[in-house]
Amino acid sequence: MTEPAQAALFELVRELKMGENHFRDIVDWIEEISLRDGMEVHEILSRDSISKISSDPRLGRSDKLKRVKEELRRLRFPRLARLEQEIQERIRLLKLGPEIQISVPPGLEGGVLMVQLKSASYPGLKGLVEELGRLVEREPLKEIFDFLGGERV
Amino acid sequence: MEPFLPQEVIVERGSEESPIFRNLRKAFPQVPFTLVERPEWAAEAQGGPVDSMSRGKRRLWLTRHRGDFLKKCPGSEGQVCCNYFVVNFASNCPMDCSYCYLQDYLADNPALKVFSNVDDLIAEADRLLSRHRKFLFRIGTGEITDSLALEPYIGFCSEVIPFFAEQPNCLLELKTKSDRVESLLGFDPKGRVVVSWSMNPQRVIEKDEHQTASFDERLGAAYRCQEAGYKVGFHFDPMVEYPGWEEDYREMVEKIFAVIDSRRIAWLSMGVLRQTPGLKRIMRERFPSTQLLSGEQVLCPDGKMRYFQPLRVGMYRKMLGWIRRASPTVFVYLCMESREVWEQVFGFAPSCEKELGNQLTGVLSF
Repeated sequence: MTEPAQAALFELVRELKMGENHFRDIVDWIEEISLRDGMEVHEILSRDSISKISSDPRLGRSDKLKRVKEELRRLRFPRLARLEQEIQERIRLLKLGPEIQISVPPGLEGGVLMVQLKSASYPGLKGLVEELGRLVEREPLKEIFDFLGGERV
Repeated sequence: MEPFLPQEVIVERGSEESPIFRNLRKAFPQVPFTLVERPEWAAEAQGGPVDSMSRGKRRLWLTRHRGDFLKKCPGSEGQVCCNYFVVNFASNCPMDCSYCYLQDYLADNPALKVFSNVDDLIAEADRLLSRHRKFLFRIGTGEITDSLALEPYIGFCSEVIPFFAEQPNCLLELKTKSDRVESLLGFDPKGRVVVSWSMNPQRVIEKDEHQTASFDERLGAAYRCQEAGYKVGFHFDPMVEYPGWEEDYREMVEKIFAVIDSRRIAWLSMGVLRQTPGLKRIMRERFPSTQLLSGEQVLCPDGKMRYFQPLRVGMYRKMLGWIRRASPTVFVYLCMESREVWEQVFGFAPSCEKELGNQLTGVLSF
């Protein structure tokens, strides 16, 4: 690693005071972005989307770390991140109440949609099942399966 | 493909009686041979910490195999398995693919081991196959070495093909990235030997499959084997995703089917690039400029990193489409993938490993 790269990484570690596991993730991702995009490490870290987070005085250390990691993950896995975002948007479009939760596995591994129903009564559950029956006919839900099935990568 | 030339050959005393030794002597008259009593000690003493993998590939160690030759393929935890047996006639490989799992699996291996007691291997296979005549076995030799890369020098296949060709309940698979098929062409495999190639576009071969045969050399070797009466197979594994991969892989499939008679193809398999985190660290050290690790890979439940599922399912479906366009009926399966991925790609998953194994041994009847 070049001197400017080491200096940029050191500055990030000093600012975010991260533990070893976070540090490893971040270094791996930065090195892989660097190799893929032909960019120097310090060029990646000085991108606006990263530097704005790490220098934002309104954010605490753990929030900064979380957001920097999210941003680096998005840069490292752009299509995965976009797909996850598309799926989350479709879930939002369904406007689900708190009794029905729809989620996908981390990293989309498993290819399944998970549905959770919460009910304290039989009539309540029956209502949720009917609502679910209507939901499965809606376009955003069908689109989620297209995303999971590799048709829209 | 470049010829293989070891720097030295270490021979365990007793192995000098074997046909493998005689073949090696003939193949490498200029290489020093050292006869030793205790090969483990001798080879380890010469090993070193600096890229011992690369050094080990140039030191050939002829020794007796202790223990069983035949083992059930371990597969990968939680993945659909094809019920395969492996027989190890050698350990380590003269080729040097960037992604090869032997870099981790055999990390401390000081040499490229070749086993001299082929007669024991044949006797063990004979016991297994004759005791279970009603079961059909698929046995492969390419798990921890390439099946044919060493063939011109050791002549292993010439020793075993006549035996396996006579077995009514077994298919022997020789899996390779080489074009070293000359010694096979004189035998009649009687429909019981499949020679299969791990195939990738030339771009991937040049960047990451070092010391292997080119795509054209592999295809030419497959054609020669087909003409000599062998069934052939192709493993599109590991499939690598990069800008322009679709065009390269589609063209590769078209070239294969333009040359090979699809009725002589026993099977095709597909699997994407995968590695454990441990292997990833080794790949970075040994091949720092490889682009393989820049793909969008995530950690899967079996501990291996693969392209995230929708991405690799999309890759498999595209490949399957190109294959089906060339041959609607050729048998295609996935290697080390989950039931969910099978269902997304094919619309079904084998109910158990026996079902997939039976479908694969079904080629015994064609």
